[in-house]
Amino acid sequence: MPTRLLLLTCPAAVAVLMLAGCGSAPPADPVAAAAAPGTRGSEEQLKALAARPTPHLADGRPDFNATWDHLGGIEFVRVRTEVAADGSVCVFGCAPPAGAPGGEGRGARRGGGPPPPMGPGTPTYKPEFLAKVKDLSDRQVQVDTNLQCAAPGVPRIGPPGKIIQNAREVVFLYDDVNGGFFRIIPTDGRPHPTDTEPSYLGDAVGRYEGDVLIVETRNLNEETWLTDNGAFHTADLKVTERFTRVGDTIRYEAVADDPAVLAEPWALRPLTLWVSDQELAEPARCEDRDLPHMVDGSFHSNPR
Amino acid sequence: MLLQRLCAGFAWVMLVAAVPVLTHHSVPGQFDVSKPVVLTGTIAKVDWINPHIYVHLSVKDARGTVTTWALATLPTAMMRRSKITKAALSGKPGEMVTVNAVPARDGTKNLGWINKITYADGHVVQLAGS
Repeated sequence: MPTRLLLLTCPAAVAVLMLAGCGSAPPADPVAAAAAPGTRGSEEQLKALAARPTPHLADGRPDFNATWDHLGGIEFVRVRTEVAADGSVCVFGCAPPAGAPGGEGRGARRGGGPPPPMGPGTPTYKPEFLAKVKDLSDRQVQVDTNLQCAAPGVPRIGPPGKIIQNAREVVFLYDDVNGGFFRIIPTDGRPHPTDTEPSYLGDAVGRYEGDVLIVETRNLNEETWLTDNGAFHTADLKVTERFTRVGDTIRYEAVADDPAVLAEPWALRPLTLWVSDQELAEPARCEDRDLPHMVDGSFHSNPR
Repeated sequence: MLLQRLCAGFAWVMLVAAVPVLTHHSVPGQFDVSKPVVLTGTIAKVDWINPHIYVHLSVKDARGTVTTWALATLPTAMMRRSKITKAALSGKPGEMVTVNAVPARDGTKNLGWINKITYADGHVVQLAGS
């Protein structure tokens, strides 16, 4: 995307470009990543990408500067694009590619109608909050702001689509279906700010431990949920994300801890991200036209 | 054609399980997947928005009366990652296309969800289970 267009279309891009200019190492080679053997996101490709040398910045920290792909991150969401000789394209509803990890998805429901309020891949609540979770779950279509184009919250938003890194901070960029979002994460020892209002994506600080970037986020507003199915949290939620660079992949792990309501910290299923040759673009406007037409409370369970 | 065969075996149940993250909510919660319809017409407009793109299809009946269907489909990022542009989805101006879709459950007329679009030259864009 031309720089001018980027500046015109994405306010966050200004800060990002400034940060990018401070980077001390070239980004990972997305073309080479795309040329790795195997279907995009297949075990074969991920293995080849992970076997590559782990790049580091001049100061020894792991280099996370790249656009990162994870096919939406949910194992059962495996968009598959196959173009036939006549130009036909199958975007969705295609057979899972051979060797693709988890094509059928763990925890994915196979039927319609409302899912159980909680289950595999979802947080465990203290007994006294189960009724509230069920109530919210039953009314998800009406009350879940994630269905109304709001920022999804952390960790629900998932790993970033692009990471920009310099000596002082890391910037996460997201081309989410709800909009273009960013998180600016100091890594130079600055503490959490004390003068910010709770927000959808909270405020975060980061630190490095070897080839791992650890990001701790708090000050999240109570509108967001941890995941689907009424998984509410309080303002005391703390989320710890770990990004481990392995070759041209990242192992992404996240734990949400909210002791007031959760029976135990909730660890999301780890994801593997890989260097992508598909640059982020400004998402199209989010305008939900569907919710008024929902005839029942059915929705999907999206195990994380 | 191989692609169509690959896709044809997929039932709605796969869509039920797989669409939500990128489309927010249940397709069967809004559309009656048991009543598929086949529409033939021209694409008058495409609203390139999230969480669902809307394709507006003008359908002319035997009397010449034109009805425009609003047909929802996948989000823009999914299209982009599949290298389908708004122009490609729109087809050529005036091009007759056939859309396999399912109608709204709440009784709203001419509202549906796209399974696939077949363009005049025979190529197909499969967007959901058929």
